[in-house]
Amino acid sequence: MKYKSQSVAKLYFIAAIALFVGQILFGLVMGLQYVVGDFLFPEIPFNVARMVHTNLLIVWLLFGFMGSAYYLVPEEAERELVAPWLAKLMFWIFLIAGAATVAGYLLVPYAKLAELTMDDLLPTMGREFLEQPTITKLGIVVVALSFLFSIGITILKGRKTVVTLVLLIGLTGLAVFFLFAFYNPENLVLDKYYWWWVVHLWVEGVWELILGAILAFILIKTTGVDREVIEKWLYVIIAMTLITGLIGTGHHYYWIGTPDFWQWWGSIFSAMEPIPFFMMTIFAFNMVNRRRRNHPNKAAVLWALGTAVMAFLGAGVWGFLHTLSPVNYYTHGTQITAAHGHMAFYGAYVMIVLAMVSYAMPMMRGRKAANSPRSQVVEMWSFWLMTVSMVFITLFLTGAGILQTYLQRYSDQPIDFMTVQDKISLFYWLREIAGVVFLIGLVLYVVSFFIGTDDPEAVEKIEVDAETA
Amino acid sequence: MPSSTNEPGERPGTTLAIVAESLYLANLLLIPGIAFIALLVMYRRYRDAPPLAFSHIQQTISASLWAGALLIVANAVIILLGGYDGPYTWAVAITYFTMAHSTLILFGMIGLVRALAGQCWRYPLIGRPLPENCPK
Ligand code: HEM
Ligand code: HEM
Ligand SMILES: [Fe+2]
Repeated sequence: MKYKSQSVAKLYFIAAIALFVGQILFGLVMGLQYVVGDFLFPEIPFNVARMVHTNLLIVWLLFGFMGSAYYLVPEEAERELVAPWLAKLMFWIFLIAGAATVAGYLLVPYAKLAELTMDDLLPTMGREFLEQPTITKLGIVVVALSFLFSIGITILKGRKTVVTLVLLIGLTGLAVFFLFAFYNPENLVLDKYYWWWVVHLWVEGVWELILGAILAFILIKTTGVDREVIEKWLYVIIAMTLITGLIGTGHHYYWIGTPDFWQWWGSIFSAMEPIPFFMMTIFAFNMVNRRRRNHPNKAAVLWALGTAVMAFLGAGVWGFLHTLSPVNYYTHGTQITAAHGHMAFYGAYVMIVLAMVSYAMPMMRGRKAANSPRSQVVEMWSFWLMTVSMVFITLFLTGAGILQTYLQRYSDQPIDFMTVQDKISLFYWLREIAGVVFLIGLVLYVVSFFIGTDDPEAVEKIEVDAETA
Repeated sequence: MPSSTNEPGERPGTTLAIVAESLYLANLLLIPGIAFIALLVMYRRYRDAPPLAFSHIQQTISASLWAGALLIVANAVIILLGGYDGPYTWAVAITYFTMAHSTLILFGMIGLVRALAGQCWRYPLIGRPLPENCPK
């Protein structure tokens, strides 16, 4: 760690991982409710657990992005962070607001929460992923603006690199598109139309820039490949992201009452959305293959490569699977969507945050470059357990989704929703088992921080290159 | 016969190797059949190309043949055995196809990365052994 102020990232990373554990616990609760309907009723109804699961996901990823930015921006800008006290203050505000919101979800009925938080003054509640009370949303805006301020000024005052530029555009876009969470038109078509400006333009737009910037940073650090080479890749990747992803929003406009031309525009542009993910995979493997050094933090390199592969599979392949309008006509809102949502979120955003945590945490805890070999072995086990179990969760949901689509919507004698759900319950049981393995992987991940802390740290293996020698 | 046009400092055959891996990927992703024919043409024309190039051409042709068997033949068998309109047939067929197809694409990506670096690469499980004189 070169600059003292980078260490504010540590707070953000610890909170992120704690909330991640919470997210998974609620995922498991819901997974069980899928097959044992009364489980924890009436204490934790499914809709509440769902809200907690998805909101914790978003919030901890935001913590992860902010922590990543606080760590990498000073190093790239070659100066201390502007106003690190602000970063610490905003951390506590965000954490307390987040905890209070989740407590609100769990303790009072949602309608009561809306009443208590005076949602009628500026009604924004009740929409998937954006369920937070308006006052929490305002808090998020304050936190985001302060964050952009410290990051932005640090970048402007320091050395400007392509990585920080792309990161800043992504983070600014994140804040700007969040503003559409406050726009809640009466007309249901318009409501949905702009809702996707938050959800889609986040994960298939500006978040991808953040992903690209963090990945590029980790690759620069761990492979020692020339910055110029990495920056060129980054440029092309983000250009492809924006070219395909912006109009690709149309793949959500097929059935909500928007004009017909979206069938074409949405299908064609979103069908090209896998391209940047494809390039990211080639990029990551190419850089690691051309590495000039063997960074001792093997776990971080593994997470970085894993991100590239799993983001391609989850977003690229599983996204393409249901993105063409004639296919989406049948699969819209089925378990296929859930399968894709799980693998894409995990592969792209969970894994890139964990990659950054893996890279930065050892230094913030006083290591020179990496954890001890023992700690890394446990971490790599957690990588495989979580990643493989997520592949299985995806496959089981895909199987469930295909059966659901066929029996409920495609067959000549369609069967009603609940009867179909009964027929495919085996897949939900299997998903739950895979979910338990995922949790074990996550527990091991946490354990890896406490193992081998007294051992000497892993050292770089110097390769004697036979050809240059 | 000039076997490939190389930038200075590149291993001989690098460009051809990159073209071969790209055609393999294109065959899986964009233009099935056409890209494979182009690979066969390469195989005929560049028999005496540097080992790096020739091994990539060989690897991608044999991997493409395997891809054809794994994707088309195996899927046809699944559908024939399961019956065209059984829901479980489609659940198995689509899931299988997606997994097999994306695995083959990932192999091709690694092949392309190796080609870009002027290294030979053997496709896991489906690739034939590499010749001795191949830079790894
Ligand atoms: C990392 C990037 C991505 C993430 C995190 C992600 C996540 C999600 C999530 C959570 C949903 C469900 C939204 C809801 O209705 O609640 C969704 C829907 C969808 N995604 Fe993605 N996605 C990503 C990339 C992609 C890509 C690249 C494509 C296309 C190639 C795609 C195609 C779709 C489609 C078509 C739907 C609508 C499904 C339906 O009609 O029910 N996604 N995505
Ligand atoms: C990193 C891991 C995970 C991520 C990123 C994640 C993400 C998500 C997302 C985005 C949704 C909304 C899906 C949609 O709108 O279609 C969701 C819903 C859900 N998740 Fe997860 N999840 C994870 C882990 C788990 C685990 C381990 C389980 C349980 C075994 C689980 C169970 C569920 C369930 C049951 C739903 C509700 C689906 C529905 O409403 O039909 N999740 N999750
Ligand atoms: Fe989308």
